[in-house]
Amino acid sequence: MIDIMCEVLTPENLTDALQLLAKADSTTKILAGGTDVVVGKTQGSKRFADTVTLIDINRIEELKGIFEKDGMISIGAATTFSEICKSKLVEEKLPLLKKASSTIGSLQIRNRATIAGNFVNNAPCADTVPALLVYDASIEIKSQAATRNISLQEFLQGPYKTQLQQGELVTRILVPTPKQNYAGDFYKLGRRRAVAISRLTLAVLILLNGKEIADIKIASGAVTPIGKRFPKLEEFAKGKVMTDNLLRDLSKKMGEEVLAVTGLRWSSDYKLPVVQQMFYQLLKGIER
Amino acid sequence: MSKDFSIVGKSVIREDGFEKITGRAKFADDYKFDGMLFSVMLRIPATHAKINSIDFSEIQNNPSVASIITSQDIPGAKKIGMIKNDQPVFCDEKVVTPGDVLAMIVGEDETELRNLVAKIKVDYTLLPTLTDPTKALEDNALLIHPELGSNLICYHPLRKGDVEKGFAESDKILERVYTTQTIEHAYIEPEAVIAIPLEDGAVKVIGSIQNPFTARRIVASVLNLPNEKVQVVQAQLGGSFGGKDDTMCMLSARAAVAAIKLNRPVKIRYARDESILESYKRHPYILKYKVGFSKIGKINAMKIDLLADGGAYCSMSPFVTWRSVVQATGPYEIENVQTDVRAVYTNNPYTGAMRGFGSPQPIFAQESLMDEIALHVGVTPDEIRRRNGLKLGSVTATGQTLKEHDVNLIPVLDKAVSFTNFAQKWKANKKEQVAAKEYVFDKPIFRDEQFIAPDSLIRKGIGLAVSFRGCSLGAEGLDQSSCYISVQPDGKIVMLSGLAENGQGLRMTLLMAAAEELGVTTDKIIYLETDTSKIEDSGPTVASRGTIMGAAAAKNAAELLRAQLEKVVRDEYKLDETDFISFRENLVFSRKKGMIAKFDDVVKAAYENKVELSAIGRYKSPDVSWDEHTGQGDAYFTYVYGCQVAEVSVNTGTGEVYLNKITAVHDPGTVINRLGALGQVYGGVTQGAGYGILEEVTTNDGMIRELNFDQYLIPTAKDIDEIKPLFLEGNEKYGAWGAKSLGEPTLELGAAAIANAVCNALGKRFYNLPLNLEEVLLGRKLRPQDIKRGSL
Repeated sequence: MIDIMCEVLTPENLTDALQLLAKADSTTKILAGGTDVVVGKTQGSKRFADTVTLIDINRIEELKGIFEKDGMISIGAATTFSEICKSKLVEEKLPLLKKASSTIGSLQIRNRATIAGNFVNNAPCADTVPALLVYDASIEIKSQAATRNISLQEFLQGPYKTQLQQGELVTRILVPTPKQNYAGDFYKLGRRRAVAISRLTLAVLILLNGKEIADIKIASGAVTPIGKRFPKLEEFAKGKVMTDNLLRDLSKKMGEEVLAVTGLRWSSDYKLPVVQQMFYQLLKGIER
Repeated sequence: MSKDFSIVGKSVIREDGFEKITGRAKFADDYKFDGMLFSVMLRIPATHAKINSIDFSEIQNNPSVASIITSQDIPGAKKIGMIKNDQPVFCDEKVVTPGDVLAMIVGEDETELRNLVAKIKVDYTLLPTLTDPTKALEDNALLIHPELGSNLICYHPLRKGDVEKGFAESDKILERVYTTQTIEHAYIEPEAVIAIPLEDGAVKVIGSIQNPFTARRIVASVLNLPNEKVQVVQAQLGGSFGGKDDTMCMLSARAAVAAIKLNRPVKIRYARDESILESYKRHPYILKYKVGFSKIGKINAMKIDLLADGGAYCSMSPFVTWRSVVQATGPYEIENVQTDVRAVYTNNPYTGAMRGFGSPQPIFAQESLMDEIALHVGVTPDEIRRRNGLKLGSVTATGQTLKEHDVNLIPVLDKAVSFTNFAQKWKANKKEQVAAKEYVFDKPIFRDEQFIAPDSLIRKGIGLAVSFRGCSLGAEGLDQSSCYISVQPDGKIVMLSGLAENGQGLRMTLLMAAAEELGVTTDKIIYLETDTSKIEDSGPTVASRGTIMGAAAAKNAAELLRAQLEKVVRDEYKLDETDFISFRENLVFSRKKGMIAKFDDVVKAAYENKVELSAIGRYKSPDVSWDEHTGQGDAYFTYVYGCQVAEVSVNTGTGEVYLNKITAVHDPGTVINRLGALGQVYGGVTQGAGYGILEEVTTNDGMIRELNFDQYLIPTAKDIDEIKPLFLEGNEKYGAWGAKSLGEPTLELGAAAIANAVCNALGKRFYNLPLNLEEVLLGRKLRPQDIKRGSL
């Protein structure tokens, strides 16, 4: 019964895809897993109202695969979450990304949905964004004319808004191979244990020098308009001894920042206490 | 068990299981016919509005539109209903709830029709809305149906003894108010129906229809045709839970009107959002309880006031709330009871039948209340129930003396309590409760003491709930069923039942009952599709009556047929009158001669001797009685009893409730298909859990927020760890070998047991379902201001 009334083009390689994109206008969108586009189109979302052409990138080898090269882990844009969950490299080097990917939707959704689709759609609740942000991910974007690299944080502009320009395609996600001694965790809260849109996501990486925090990276999703890092919090924590007091202070500051960004919304009464409590719990869990 | 069964009580895989898991089973939307047209509904985004005019001019000459169907096309009744005819087939004068349909356009291209329907111009005037049921009976309340003179749908009083005297004699009185939410059935298959015109102006309807005979009556009344000119055939049903009755009758009627007008097959099929928008829901209740009890917790008096929001149409409200009035006290013997139950009209989505049918709401209230009484008296929850629970010879709130069956309330309770080690766990959890620690979030940013030590974050709780439930329709209506079986010359048997397979596995249950009686294996019997033209009306497949009424009729048919076969055996094999014939596993035995023939040989002999090998079996319910002014009478002819224990983990930081284990102990009488019975428990418990912690249809001025499964959340397999079903099969004189009911009892207890478990974990009681994240953490619900969504 679902008829999205679009023409679907299926380029076999990156060159063809970029050529198609170069000719396309704003009525053309990229189809990866389709878990946002098809659903949005069916629901009558304004974001896809004008869309009449879809360029299916699933057959393009250049957009697939996960490998490590020159100190960078490179993940193809059209890699599905199921593929990420199965990757030994991701499991070993980017455990937070694996954990975040495994919490997405259902197995069926993870079999279709892609990592680039997650942040190109840029819903506030995009599960892998906080994980990618703490790993300092950057992305490679290509058009027929050029290739550019940009940090993910910079790429994400606002809810459902990114820096992706007409004619451009995200081709790869590049993550600097983390130093082994970072400890960290990812947390997701949904209304149920599977097939749940996140109410809160948190990702933290900590590098300890004895009891002292040498480096810390903090990101959240679903409680702020888009997934974001918390540089002020990170600066505050760096160089401090990881005491219970510090963790409480950090959690309160997280609450303050979230409040500052969002103001009081209908959901704040719930989300503010939960973000502070669960951030504290996450830090305590990492501290162990 | 008194009888040595060969089939009854075994686990048998349902006969349609293979077709269903391989995708071969044919559901209504799988039927396609030459020349078939599709239909798209015209609605307006209004909760309450007067329709001034509808301008079809932009589409009426469009070649994609075969016809525009309006109420002008209806030859018969323009309004229909299960009980009261208050629901227009097409609302061309007024819209009283957002699901209302003004007209329907029909054509070959469904997608194009969806584009075209947006071009119809409707001129309407918005009217003030009534969405708060507590205001529906106020003097100046606006009337949803002015012609009825009141928003009162129905009122059921019950008076037993003298409550004021009972309160005066009590040591302690508690008064509590509970609320329960609107929920959606969430059957996996949305509505679909096809109407096919036949010769002579007759029509055939194939659909995902719960009650084909009700659909026939409604379609016949709308078309102004005699019943025999309307043939309703049930397709495989992808779930119903009471939800494919009114809505499917309505869609059948609309499709039939179009099919007759155009003389072509017409299909209506809904996507999920349209299904949730138009279909009826479970009644939300406001439940006020006042209870008086002695120092030892013996209840002297209970005063109950229940208000059900019926939404825009009457639907099944009178029957749903009638079950509530009978069962509102719970399974307790109380001398003085005063109950008032009302259902009212509002502009909210209308509410009707749903699995449980007026029981889950009062059970949540009364079982929460029992736990509070236990705390006041200082005993465990199981003990307070033992002190008040119904036993053999007890008199219920309706004045009915329980007799002639095993009144197994206390036995199911005891079994559940000992199996789960309930009392010990309950006391241990209670000790762990943070002493009277209320989570007060007075300021947005935490104070230090609000951070929880990681090892205190998750708290364990255990809670239980018990119920009694009247089987079948009771004093709601006539209660009988029929089953036809006949043996073909090759020994195969065909069966037709007036009760319908709703996905619950009824077919296999009936096959097993007949197979047991005839001494054949179930694969020898073929269950024919349910068709209103081929078998008598057996009443609706509701009220967990499929087994108690259906299996009894199937058994009766098999008994009649077996008597015919026995005569053949006696003649053919020259057995004397004193010999005893038995049928087992497709063979026939004589006590004196041993195995004498195959079942098929006997059939062959019967055909050769021109013996009739068909029978219609019947089962009539025993008489019940009801005085509608006093609420006194023998409401149901028998009852079933259940106890469920919920063991939960509560995250005190987020309000998440995780269900570690639900132990479900039920007395359904004799279990026919053990596998089917287990399936009922797994499904019912899961549905009950959804009602307890997740599910809620919320509205903003009558407009539903959760129109699809991305927002309307039902539990997944990951949300409940273990479900443990235990059966305690009590003796019963009615039904087939005492087989009674199980479908609804399995659902009605979960929410109450979970709420009690969460209270055991936190030391804090919850009065408003569902116990979702916000309710558990903050003690209240949070709602967005409107129904807009960011992703759109």
